[in-house]
Amino acid sequence: MWQIIKNEWHLLIRSRALLTVSLGFVLTFLVSVFLGDLQSQKQNKKYKTAKEHLREKWESIEEMNPHGAAHYGTYVFKPSNLLSGLDEGVNSITGNVLRVEGHVQNEIVHSEASQMQSISKFGKLKSSLLLQYIVPLLLIFLAFQSINSEKQSGRLKLMLMQGQNPANIVFAKTLSIWLYGIALLILSILVYTLLNLNHIYSDLISRMLFFFISYGLYYYALCGLTIYFSIRWKHTSLALTSMLGIWIIWTIFFPNILMSSVEKWHKLPSRATFNTAMKNDRSKGLDGHNPADERRKHLEEQVLKQYKVDSLSQLPINFDGILMQEDETYGNKVWDKHFGELRNVLKQQKQSYQLGGVLNPFISLQNASMGFAGNDNLHHQEFLVQVETFRRGFIKSLNDKHAYGGSKTGDWGWKANKSFYKSIEDFQYQPTAISSVFSHYIVDLVFLLFWGFIVSILLILGTKKMQIL
Amino acid sequence: MIQLRNVVKSFKGITAVHNLNLEVNEGEILGLLGANGAGKSTTINMLLGFLLPDSGTVQINDYDTVKNTVAVRKMIGYIPENVNLYSYLSGIENLDYFCKLAGLKYTKKELEDFLNTCGLQHEAHHKKIAHYSKGMRQKVGIAIAYAKKAKVYLLDEPASGLDPLASNELSDLLKKIASEGAAVLMASHDIFRVREVCHRIGILKQGSLIKELNSEDVSPNELEKLYLEYMKN
Repeated sequence: MWQIIKNEWHLLIRSRALLTVSLGFVLTFLVSVFLGDLQSQKQNKKYKTAKEHLREKWESIEEMNPHGAAHYGTYVFKPSNLLSGLDEGVNSITGNVLRVEGHVQNEIVHSEASQMQSISKFGKLKSSLLLQYIVPLLLIFLAFQSINSEKQSGRLKLMLMQGQNPANIVFAKTLSIWLYGIALLILSILVYTLLNLNHIYSDLISRMLFFFISYGLYYYALCGLTIYFSIRWKHTSLALTSMLGIWIIWTIFFPNILMSSVEKWHKLPSRATFNTAMKNDRSKGLDGHNPADERRKHLEEQVLKQYKVDSLSQLPINFDGILMQEDETYGNKVWDKHFGELRNVLKQQKQSYQLGGVLNPFISLQNASMGFAGNDNLHHQEFLVQVETFRRGFIKSLNDKHAYGGSKTGDWGWKANKSFYKSIEDFQYQPTAISSVFSHYIVDLVFLLFWGFIVSILLILGTKKMQIL
Repeated sequence: MIQLRNVVKSFKGITAVHNLNLEVNEGEILGLLGANGAGKSTTINMLLGFLLPDSGTVQINDYDTVKNTVAVRKMIGYIPENVNLYSYLSGIENLDYFCKLAGLKYTKKELEDFLNTCGLQHEAHHKKIAHYSKGMRQKVGIAIAYAKKAKVYLLDEPASGLDPLASNELSDLLKKIASEGAAVLMASHDIFRVREVCHRIGILKQGSLIKELNSEDVSPNELEKLYLEYMKN
């Protein structure tokens, strides 16, 4: 088998046309890798500069009312990881920057299914475009006449006369073309790794490994299926047409059809509906700027009772701060409720979409690729949760300062000093560990393995029916 | 070495080989003459194990080609009408590759010796096959069979399209191979070449062996006359 693989590689190396295509491809690949890496590095640099600038501004606050500071707010950034250059996933839609402000939570109203649509990748020179669309096309073009050409030239007969068994030849041909795809994949990962040696950590290595496995399985399924057609169809053109048809269905039509269906099966509220629902729920709560409602009265009575005084002016603390924190807590409950519902729908959408992998391995590949690269919607949600947790702590610190920092109720002119603002810690993004989200991608890996298995069975069956003459 | 007993083969009701009996012994060259569709290639493909006979037995060195396909193929050197090798490899690289496929590993010197023995000029050994003539490719094809120490050679129209010189070289090579103990079965249209190379000649018509004779017993012109008569009747 090794001899046949070696010989196929000889063809790749010695055929001027193939070598030119391969070199052109590798160059394009390298350009995309460099551009991707450059973009990631530029973005991270910009984020770092912006983060430092914002922190500097925050720490330079001499004196400010804590509530004013809550509205002054800040921005948090999600740095892109090494794999972002290979598959930026939904980042271009969701972005990596979020604002942190009092009363205002960040929302996710874009559909997970919609983000599966990666047609927008066309037209942009990105590694994911090359790895998901162009490499497979190249593999199809290399594989479609692999067996047929041997058959038509009579070399297949000669190979069999040398004692080779047909299955050996078929699998060797499949593996040799698969290895071509793997070589391109390794090249892109290797270049990225070398460009980011200082930013490699163990979790990223695991992610890279699963990223590699996902593509490896997909390429195998694609090569195997093309070789199968090359065995079964008498005419090479028919094998090519069949496989190109499948490629178009897999990469363009099927994902779009499934995406639309999934969005209908598990409907997400529109942004307007979502916001109105949030607003309605929140308006029932206490609002520091709108103190005349029942809950405010109840809270007021509670606090007065606690401090054993008759009026707010007698309180040793600032009731406005307590009121705003209470509103914040209620707002958090509202957000948790709506965000939770939204997450459930997104989860259902994702799960339904993932099931499409049983018919289309490309869907599993895209899910796994974005997921292992840490740039799918799930990872974005994890980022949102981190930001929201930070926001809650941040606003609570400000409200508590407003309440217990020394001012009295109604004293909106009171200001906290510089050391207080300096003591509030900045947002530190914690990359999501692959172990905590791996379960979400098992189904994608299983389907890719399933396709590898199915294709192997097809190859074995095809070999048995292979016409030598 | 080569033995066919009462072999029948038909395709979709059309008989390609009818009750064929043939035998080729060690050191012997048998030429099969016949028009297109006479059953020459079908006979060779049954010997190669690519076609199964409907009835009768096909044996190589006492091995049934149906039951022992792999073992039988290891004994056979097959040279088709067009030896299409890998054009991006040189003659010696092609030989090396096919030898390795058969599990044989030879040194460069040994490979060169095989090619020399089969008449391929030394300066051609390292040229790419794309630059070879048909005759040169045939020589590499024979070298592949020779290197695997085939006991049986099956040639399907080997001289077709060869120039007289190349054809003559091929004849000498086949004689040499037979003299070393191999059994050679050669299917051809070329009456004169068959008469010159083969020890025995069989004439196939519509799948039946209608005449078998020794080359020595007939002159080239007589053979041509005989062949044409059989074809007309």
